Amino acid sequence: MRHTDERAIRARNESAWLVPTGQERTNWSLRERMRRFDPDEEVDVVVVGCGAGGGTLTQRLARAGFRVVALEAGPWWDPARDWVSDEAASHKLYWTEPRVISGKDPVALGSNNSGRGVGGSMVHVAGYVPRFHPSDFETYTRDGVGADWPISYEELRPYYEQIEEELPAAGEPWPWGDPHDYPHHPHPLGPNGEVFRRGARALGLRTAVGPVAIPNGRFGHRNHCIYRGFCLQGCKVNAKASPLITHIPDALAHGAEIRPDSMVSEVVVEHGRATGVRYFHGGREHFQRARLVALAAYSIETPRLLLLSATPAHPDGLCNDFGQVGRYVMVQGAPQTAGRFHDEVRMYKAPPPEVTCEEFYETDPSKDYRRGFAIQNVSPLPITYSEHVTAQGHWGEVLREYMRDYVHWAVLGSLCEFLPRVENGVTLAAENDAHGLPVANFSYSEGENDNKLEAAAQAVMEDILRAAGAQEVITIKRYAHLVGGCRMAADERSGVVDRNRRSVAVPNLYVTDGSVMPTQGSANPALTIMALAARCADHLRATARSGLVGEAVRG
Amino acid sequence: MSRPDTPAATPGGEGRFDGYDVLAQSPFWDPVTAEVVLDRTRRVPALAFFSSAEADVARALLDLMLANHAEPRVPVVEMVDRRLFEGETDGWRYEDMPEDGEAWRRSLRFLDEDARRAFQAGFAHCTLDQQGRIVQGVQDSEEWHGLPGKHVWSLWTRYGCAAFYAHPWAWNEIGFGGPAYPRGYKVLHPGWREPFEVAERDAEDPVPWSERVEQAERAHEVRLGPRR
Repeated sequence: MRHTDERAIRARNESAWLVPTGQERTNWSLRERMRRFDPDEEVDVVVVGCGAGGGTLTQRLARAGFRVVALEAGPWWDPARDWVSDEAASHKLYWTEPRVISGKDPVALGSNNSGRGVGGSMVHVAGYVPRFHPSDFETYTRDGVGADWPISYEELRPYYEQIEEELPAAGEPWPWGDPHDYPHHPHPLGPNGEVFRRGARALGLRTAVGPVAIPNGRFGHRNHCIYRGFCLQGCKVNAKASPLITHIPDALAHGAEIRPDSMVSEVVVEHGRATGVRYFHGGREHFQRARLVALAAYSIETPRLLLLSATPAHPDGLCNDFGQVGRYVMVQGAPQTAGRFHDEVRMYKAPPPEVTCEEFYETDPSKDYRRGFAIQNVSPLPITYSEHVTAQGHWGEVLREYMRDYVHWAVLGSLCEFLPRVENGVTLAAENDAHGLPVANFSYSEGENDNKLEAAAQAVMEDILRAAGAQEVITIKRYAHLVGGCRMAADERSGVVDRNRRSVAVPNLYVTDGSVMPTQGSANPALTIMALAARCADHLRATARSGLVGEAVRG
Repeated sequence: MSRPDTPAATPGGEGRFDGYDVLAQSPFWDPVTAEVVLDRTRRVPALAFFSSAEADVARALLDLMLANHAEPRVPVVEMVDRRLFEGETDGWRYEDMPEDGEAWRRSLRFLDEDARRAFQAGFAHCTLDQQGRIVQGVQDSEEWHGLPGKHVWSLWTRYGCAAFYAHPWAWNEIGFGGPAYPRGYKVLHPGWREPFEVAERDAEDPVPWSERVEQAERAHEVRLGPRR
């Protein structure tokens, strides 16, 4: 346990007291009392996107006294009325505007990795928040693959610690990477996690419970987790953290404005500086003037927006003079292996990932591949689990027989660090969306190192499940998470933004989402995206204070 | 479409959790979720996207793929039709496939063409055996009428399974707990159950898991001929 001073917790985690008690899940009066800027007013910062990156940045800038407006393409959710405890009816949580996928290994989007609405993808992810390892920041130097980050783990560590407190995260002391502990004790294990730990223990592999962004116990007005297993469908309990209930309410309390249902179509640049963004709201086009523009629309929509913002001076898109926009988009290889047990498991209870093994995270010099993978339990609900069965080619009676056996299966998933490839990325398709804007085409192909990692991860998962007593194992190949597309780099020929997330081409245009990541590690990216946004906010605060002409907002 | 009033209904009366009725838990669900889930059992939506000819082919295809042959049958085709009518996609399409609605229409037309060529009857009027051979041919194909076979297969299985396993009768069949808010779970150990969860009929009765799978595979093969 860290920092248990109550006043410090109240000051830092104010949002936990900003959600209501009782059956309501939304603080309506906070939303009604929200500051509203005049439509013609030039604000200090306009943020595009209200997920992990945009939500965190907006909150910190509001606390620092910036006049900030955040635009979000999707709705402003009320967990009580908008969300359901049901797989099929949770469709609206995902980005389901048209998109095209291509390449040798096309990657499914939507529920797999793309959120929509205030809170972003963190609304429908499992809330798993491991840190990256120090090695993730220098894979090229250490292993000759991927790319080095222009910042180090040490520079990001204080922001990891801040965000872990702000969520707050619960888990066992972490033995891997930079060893650390968590503000809250781990949650009790669900059945799938128990099976995983039993198998790992039999093989002598270390595991740890968590970290999950769910306080252990009632926290402020946020309720205790009820272990219902529907984390991926939006937490109706207000137990799992997402910016919707953490950083956005805090931002409102400090004077930020959130505009939902506002789809940004163009970043406007005049004389080399961004002047604001155009967006659609209520069937009309609007323009928000701002001294600084921060993009946080994630790895598909941020590159798409830069490409849509082409001008005669930048015919290939904004910040794209060196062809870097939309490049190096990454997904983790995420094969999942299911094991059949004689006893009932009923994996659908408790948060879907609960236990992690990072014993295979780092490069093993004895292997013929670089970098590694993490293993976590995952606990698919029936519709998602049916994909595991159909992936074996089963249909008809055999599909039904496997599904009838659902309660006997436990599932492990791995996150494999697939390497960045210049040809994997986002371009504009010939097809237009409802606003007449070309949709994104996301092309993806695996490399040789990726295939080897995936096979190694599958073998370990099969071993663990067999060691736990599985009679049969089946594996589905899939992908998880999205990062890259506007990576940060040391110079404009190898990236879109610099180490402070400022675009190389336009001095008052920043990118503050996961698209800036040069590599992806084998950890779920949400915590790192939030930590990067927090660090960017500190940079903007310092730059504004120093009053440097041509820098940040006061330029 | 029969809709039994009996509790603990399962698709085709299949299942090993005798008497398990997930709908009996509905008083413990939040009203928004209860409305959405109960609606699936109360009302079969009218067709709005498929023409009646397309719906006949889609029904034959989806019932075959989900072995949804005996009453009570999950209204899969109506559920798929509703999604297509409302444009509720998965948020992506393969570059080498049309948008989902058009892909469904085309693939149903191709199924009918294949059936007429091979068996001189529309797909919906073929025997299950004949339908099965055509469908297996799509799963095994590289390219099918200019579309990648595996992407057509992905379209059919994604929509079909998402509809079937959204239905509470299917949850009764597989023992799934269903919606769990605000009730939640308190018994988290493998092999243990909540008071309302029902034990599976003896796991060895009448035969153990491995033999049940073999039986299902034999039933599948009898209908369709040997698999790949």
